[in-house]
Amino acid sequence: MTSYVKQLALAAGLTCAFVAAAPAAEKHKVFLSMSYIGNDWQAEAANMVKALAASKDYADKVDLQVQVAGPNAQRQIQQINAMVQAGAEAIVVYPISPTALNQVVKNACSKGVKIVAYDAEITESCAYNVTIDQEEAGRKTAEWLADKLGGKGDIVLITGVPGTSVDIARTKAAKEVFAKHPDIHVVGEAVGMWSQAVARTELSKLLATRKWDDIDGLWMQVGCYTANAMQLEAGRSEDKLVPCAGEGSNGGRIQALAKGTEVEGASSPYAPLGAPRISYASPPYSGALALKLAVDMLEGKDVPHHTTLPLPLVTNDTIKLCETGSWEEMKNGCNTFKPSIVANPGWFGSIFSDQLPQLGLNAALVGQPET
Amino acid sequence: MAKAEAMRRPGSPWTGGFRHKAARSRATLVAIAVFVLLFLVTDWISPGPMTYFDVSFLASGGTTLALAAIGQTLVILSGGFDLSAGAVISLVNAVLAANMSMTDMEASVAEWTAVGIGVGMLVGAFNGFFVAFLRLQPIVVTLSTMFIVEGGTLLVLEQPGGFVAPTLGSFYMGDAVPNLLPAPILLLGVVLLAWAWLKRTRYGLALYAVGSDPASAAAVGISVPWVRFATYVLAGGLYGLAGVFISAQTGSGDPLVGNSLLLSVFAAVVIGGTRLGGGKGGPVGSVFGAYTLMIVVNILLALNVSAYFSSIAEGAVLLLAVLFASFSKTSVLADQIRHGLAAARARSAGLLVAQRPKADRRLAFAARRGAASAGGVELPGLFRRNAETIRYAAPAYVALCLVLIATQFVLGNVLVNFGYWNALFVLSTFLAILALGQGAVILTGGLDLSLPWTIALSGILLAGMVRGSDPALLYALPIVLAVAAAIGLLNGIGVVMLGLSPIVVTLAMNGILQGAALLYSNGTPSGFASPALRWFMTGHVAGVTPVIPFLAAFVIGATVLLGRTSFGRRVYAIGNSLEAARLSGVRTGRVIIAVYVLSALSAALVGILLTGFSGQASLGMGDDYLLPSIAVVVVGGALITGGRGHYLGMFGGALLLTALQTLLAGTTLPYAFRAILFGCVVLAAVVALRERRTS
Repeated sequence: MTSYVKQLALAAGLTCAFVAAAPAAEKHKVFLSMSYIGNDWQAEAANMVKALAASKDYADKVDLQVQVAGPNAQRQIQQINAMVQAGAEAIVVYPISPTALNQVVKNACSKGVKIVAYDAEITESCAYNVTIDQEEAGRKTAEWLADKLGGKGDIVLITGVPGTSVDIARTKAAKEVFAKHPDIHVVGEAVGMWSQAVARTELSKLLATRKWDDIDGLWMQVGCYTANAMQLEAGRSEDKLVPCAGEGSNGGRIQALAKGTEVEGASSPYAPLGAPRISYASPPYSGALALKLAVDMLEGKDVPHHTTLPLPLVTNDTIKLCETGSWEEMKNGCNTFKPSIVANPGWFGSIFSDQLPQLGLNAALVGQPET
Repeated sequence: MAKAEAMRRPGSPWTGGFRHKAARSRATLVAIAVFVLLFLVTDWISPGPMTYFDVSFLASGGTTLALAAIGQTLVILSGGFDLSAGAVISLVNAVLAANMSMTDMEASVAEWTAVGIGVGMLVGAFNGFFVAFLRLQPIVVTLSTMFIVEGGTLLVLEQPGGFVAPTLGSFYMGDAVPNLLPAPILLLGVVLLAWAWLKRTRYGLALYAVGSDPASAAAVGISVPWVRFATYVLAGGLYGLAGVFISAQTGSGDPLVGNSLLLSVFAAVVIGGTRLGGGKGGPVGSVFGAYTLMIVVNILLALNVSAYFSSIAEGAVLLLAVLFASFSKTSVLADQIRHGLAAARARSAGLLVAQRPKADRRLAFAARRGAASAGGVELPGLFRRNAETIRYAAPAYVALCLVLIATQFVLGNVLVNFGYWNALFVLSTFLAILALGQGAVILTGGLDLSLPWTIALSGILLAGMVRGSDPALLYALPIVLAVAAAIGLLNGIGVVMLGLSPIVVTLAMNGILQGAALLYSNGTPSGFASPALRWFMTGHVAGVTPVIPFLAAFVIGATVLLGRTSFGRRVYAIGNSLEAARLSGVRTGRVIIAVYVLSALSAALVGILLTGFSGQASLGMGDDYLLPSIAVVVVGGALITGGRGHYLGMFGGALLLTALQTLLAGTTLPYAFRAILFGCVVLAAVVALRERRTS
């Protein structure tokens, strides 16, 4: 906290003399260029990157500086340029646009700077990308839903942010699956902006002219937790919750635990309901993994240009509650966290990576590494 | 003052000496000084000296914003407002990327630049037609255009991709003179030279005249509509050029690339010293305003400002830049200090008006008139008295009826379905509440851009304090509202005491609040709404959600507040003429501050209710409410330049937009078509609002 205050003082008094902390001789200078940080996923991903940089294995290797560009691609372009000028050896990027950064990334590459993008992609060929297979995410979840419905029923789709590659890849793949089942009808489609709050307003609009009884299944990029809560509010019983294929929020996973499971801190609707669910995620550890790969490269290791992360899929059969959320425990297969520890049901639960033993629950929550 | 200024344009025999000129372009000179100062700071704190390459990067980084800001400046000089700027940039980028052929590596720069500028001008002509010839309010026309263009862009280019020939890149991003002059600076130089020429033409003179005082301009024989039309077309062309530049810079297309530039464009214009409302300022300042905004990125990096603080630091820089630019002997701050000192002197001498003995000093006839009307002089009928209000408010309700009928036809099960009405009112609650605050601010001629993070911060604070416990609401609600009142107070003080543009003050406040929310929540908002709050927003009592009676009471209260109280009358008085209101004894400063407090309180209430509705608070939960809050106010018949509008009209606007979104959500139309339809309906609603007398 005190360091925050110091930095604020520095920022406010722009004319104050700036004394750069002299980095240890062999530390690699790495920058993180984030986009908009005003949402839960970004903040969680940033916590995990910071935790990794602060961990025992990396604290002596990396000098990490985190900067936010905001939602504006122009500023990220300028920021990356400035980072290159400031002597970056590697830049970890959450790209605002997969294409707008191409020229600046090319320029950075030509100066020997390693660029690693996480979650979203940079199409410039010299960049390194860490992503999940978005198409697979759309397809697997849609297949699960079609299966669950026995190949027939009326479903509602809640998509992501229109005009983004990720949204289109997921939605297209899902629609292709549904098209193979002539008895599955998409009766409503709304833009959910990857936000629980927007999913709620959009579903409310859809339900203004429909009843829950008219809907047999939901395919949502984000919002299953909210959809289940809305069904309970509408007076439906817990055994009649419709199957929902959607994101990996912790709230949604707690709901998928068998009814009656003892969970500390649970209170409806953030409680075990036995809701039929498949949960996938763009895991927030991808930023930390991008940092790991960047350091690997700086140490001379070979890294492929595309790292496709295993798609974290959790269904009612594989769901398992964690006691503490340590990395060791998650390694043994737990994937859901107690509401008493994770108070925010919209928090993203897919934080386990077998390659990052430094990061457990505390890394994602408050930026504290395991060691 | 501005009128006099217009008369003293170069070319008229009035052109004064150097000192006079310098005084006239003081705002521009200060904008340049601010940029130079920041540039030197950057140079000083950055490791290593500034090389030609650094300058070249900086130059290309800010060019898109600068070009768009020049266009916006023209519109604002003419007394207008253009929300479609960012969307046009995206559209041009998409058009170029989608249509350039991979096989044509040698694509002609001139040809494609012309295409880009042409597309921009077409959109500008669309805006200009509705604003200039149909005399619709620019803010709502350009807002509709923004939605239509955003939808159209997604039809042209569904997702990031496409191809932009490298010839464009090497032309716009290269060196005009190697190691001396980067091409982007030359480009801006050419545009500004063109402006210098244009300013001296009949059009340039007319532009300032129209912006200062359209009635006088028309009286001296200027064709006001054509000047406005030409301005929007010209501005569209400049956005088009910005789109071409961003295409050259990125080498590909992204349908969302320009959308987020919008608020920065306004900030650049205001930092550049151009006055909102027209008639004063110029594009040169805006260019430096744009670069000032962009160089902040480098400063934050060099200072290693932590991520959570970056939006706070940015807000602070924005405020300081404008404050610095506004400080002079005639600035509002100096005025305020002078007034304060004078009042203190008067008080000690016992001469202050408030110190005179309290006695009824009303003139005799005022009392007589009151007695006469009580004695039975017939008042005009209800309709006659409220004819104007009804004329401006009715279109929203007429459009609402049409949307409801359309919904019945398309989706069925609407008009007699109680659940539909319940959902419609619950969903309208948020916009209806925001409309009071934003509406009151707009009535006084301001704008509150700090709504998004006032909403989010309030929700996050509430959820964090309540943590699911009902009794905690008892202290959490007052605390959240008190915090919001403080936010509004600061906004109001910035606008009134420091005399800064409301856009800058509230935009900076929004950034500061974002930082505050991130710091408070440490990136992950915890806590959730209490059962009572959730029940209030989502429960049912005899089929009715409890928030609906509250909404009804709110609507009545808001109508009374704006229409029947002295506060309401003062708000309208200020909107009609600040000076006239002040001379009539309205303490304008207090009223304006109160209006911003009201706006922040409305936003906080929405934050609280949204938290109850969603069950939890999240970062960014207020992002989707800024533009709609302005739209409902304007669709409801309020005048963005202030002084006209009725709360019931705004409420109608909230119902209309919600019903329209509900209709669109019920279909399976692709998002692009929904955006286009949404824009068209909003535009159609305001065409009916058209003023029929000549302005």
